[in-house]
Amino acid sequence: MTMPVAPPTELLAFTVDRIEVGVFAVDRDFRIVLWNRFMATHSKRSVADVVGRNLFECFPELQQKWLERKINSVFVLKNYAFTSWEQRPFLFRFHHNRPITGGVDAMRQNCTLLPLKNASGEVELVCFTLADFTDTAMYQGCLNDAIVELEQEKSAQQILIKKLEDAQGQLLQSEKMASVGQLAAGVAHEINNPIGFINSNLGSLKTNVEDLLAVIAAYERADTVLAGHPDLLGAIKMAKTAADLDFLQSDMQSLISESLEGVHRVKKIVENLKDFSRIDNAEWHYANLESGLESTLNIVWNELKYKTEVKKEYAGLPEIECIGSQLNQVFMNLMINAAHAIAERGVITLRTGFDESSVWVEVEDTGSGIKPEHLKRIFEPFFTTKPVGKGTGLGLSLAYGIVQRHHGALDVKSKPGEGSVFRVTLPRKRVIEDVGGGVGP
Amino acid sequence: MTAETRTDLTEDQRDALQEIANIGMGQAGSLIGKIWGEFVNLSIPRIAHLDRQSIPAALTRLVGDHSVNAVRQAFHGSIRGEVVVVFSGGRDDELRELMGYEEADSVEEQELLLDVANILVGACLGGIAETLKAEIGFSAPSVMGLDISPALLIRPDELNSGRALFLEVRFTLEKKSLASHLVVLMPEDEFFVLGQALDTFLASI
Amino acid sequence: MAVSVLVVDDSPIARKMLIRALPSDWDIEISQATNGIEALVAYRAGKVDVMFLDLTMPDMDGYQVLETLRKEDLNCLVIVVSADIQEKAQERVQNLGAIAFIRKPITAEGLAEVLKKYGIVV
Repeated sequence: MTMPVAPPTELLAFTVDRIEVGVFAVDRDFRIVLWNRFMATHSKRSVADVVGRNLFECFPELQQKWLERKINSVFVLKNYAFTSWEQRPFLFRFHHNRPITGGVDAMRQNCTLLPLKNASGEVELVCFTLADFTDTAMYQGCLNDAIVELEQEKSAQQILIKKLEDAQGQLLQSEKMASVGQLAAGVAHEINNPIGFINSNLGSLKTNVEDLLAVIAAYERADTVLAGHPDLLGAIKMAKTAADLDFLQSDMQSLISESLEGVHRVKKIVENLKDFSRIDNAEWHYANLESGLESTLNIVWNELKYKTEVKKEYAGLPEIECIGSQLNQVFMNLMINAAHAIAERGVITLRTGFDESSVWVEVEDTGSGIKPEHLKRIFEPFFTTKPVGKGTGLGLSLAYGIVQRHHGALDVKSKPGEGSVFRVTLPRKRVIEDVGGGVGP
Repeated sequence: MTAETRTDLTEDQRDALQEIANIGMGQAGSLIGKIWGEFVNLSIPRIAHLDRQSIPAALTRLVGDHSVNAVRQAFHGSIRGEVVVVFSGGRDDELRELMGYEEADSVEEQELLLDVANILVGACLGGIAETLKAEIGFSAPSVMGLDISPALLIRPDELNSGRALFLEVRFTLEKKSLASHLVVLMPEDEFFVLGQALDTFLASI
Repeated sequence: MAVSVLVVDDSPIARKMLIRALPSDWDIEISQATNGIEALVAYRAGKVDVMFLDLTMPDMDGYQVLETLRKEDLNCLVIVVSADIQEKAQERVQNLGAIAFIRKPITAEGLAEVLKKYGIVV
């Protein structure tokens, strides 16, 4: 091993001058005493131009007060100081090494301030090294841009996923409703036939019984003639008493008329079911919303009857062009929500009104009302304040979608503790959309 | 502390380090006072050997359980380690004035913290190194965390050293609201080197 | 007759450094205290001519010792030895009656100079 040899001073000087890092030094009066080639090239100020002169005089664009303090702290503390491109992009405004492909306005710089001590340990000069960090800054910039882009894409995807989920939820719900409707229609159809012949048979039976009773009445007129045949008369009397013929006569008639009434009620329910589901007519047609309200009310009556009084304030709506079965779903949702909002007892008012271009239907309740912070969100899919299992959070969003498809509006007014009013406003005539039939809201 | 592990500093070495730190902080206070023209209050340095798991809790105990800004800076040379400067008070405008930022200077708050931290670290460590006759240099400081809980500053599982020497000093300026804690952390494998330097110091007195 | 010197510092190293730095030809009797309370106990026992006093100590610090000495009109030469070398600290202890202020780390030369300057050692 050879003895280490201190590099010759000229070599050191050469290196400092030619190194691809800015090197310069100032004394306590901020006079420049060293200025290497990198500094000269980039600042376009030669050694002769700056050495011996005050740094801030040569470069008035420098932030004097701040930099003076920084340099002073190095003199006093005999310690390093730094600047980083991340916080302070550059100390000197130099052109960067990307004149063509550019992208930043000036060279990004990391600077180190070094104390240069004399033999007695005092700091005589502060030396600056200035490293070009433009490339790093550019890469960092690209990385940051990419991260921002990714984040944006991610949130866009999340929104999309949410939309898809909503759409799927609506689809599921409308499928469910449709199959319930289909089932109801099928059942209604099946019941319709037997009810038809029961009805007609009961009608015939009624006539038959009446005829039969007329015959018995005719026979009774022969009682006097039978006076001479006490045995026969006695037997007839016994038979009449045993059968309680007087009661039988009145009871048979009321039995038949009660049965007929019952059959009529069944027929009406079946009709309501068919009306409600309208699986036979899921298309645009003219319909009376008040009769739609009536048939829907009959369907949900069981939910309402124990705790609500239903008031009707119908204005006598004209028929409007609509998909009646879908609107009935809307009414049903509003009525069931109204009933759920009422804890003990309350009133549900069904109200209608119209003008020359539109009609409206209101469902008002005297229930608990909706909190202001929930009001904005109630039409969102899956939003529910009902306990788990009691509501899917889809009813109102579904209703909203249906009303939207009719180019109508679904509005709500509510006061916590006093109740809510939902109003469905619909155009009287169908609005034809530009692009086919839209799916979902 | 219970049974000392083999690598920990001896009682004498810790006494010496305590005294050296006292001296270093005294010099630091005087130098900072000169730079900023402000009277500096410096607490007596506290020294402890800590297992890495207990470092977050120790930090929280020292600085208080509120959100802080923090800067880290490494020192290297004949001894090496890292310094964490935790700022728990201090108004921006006052710090700006101290560091000579112009009014119109829309510099990021981060640079301000880095500048202040660099001065505190340089003054304190410089004083200690000088008394120990150790040559040290510093890397550029970097931001560790902004507005975060002190317990989250140092994550034990990210530490390379199982045990660390923990030296803490509290700074306040008399007329400004700046309050900060300076925590010097030295890794286990440096204990020996530091111990040697302390022994040299002890032998010289 | 030997001069009695009291060295007050909570750090044993600091006391050791100071005692090492005292002039070897000075005829003295050295005692030590680790805080202000101990220092006052020693003083009241009546055997302190010169006191080397640290400022930052637990229990009773150097400033409090100086205040007590002055309040009770006690008489001894106090030389403050401190790492806190800010001018304000120096001013404060001199106002409290300390005759000199020596900065840590203490050196034999520095100490000799102060002792000479105040005529404690000729």
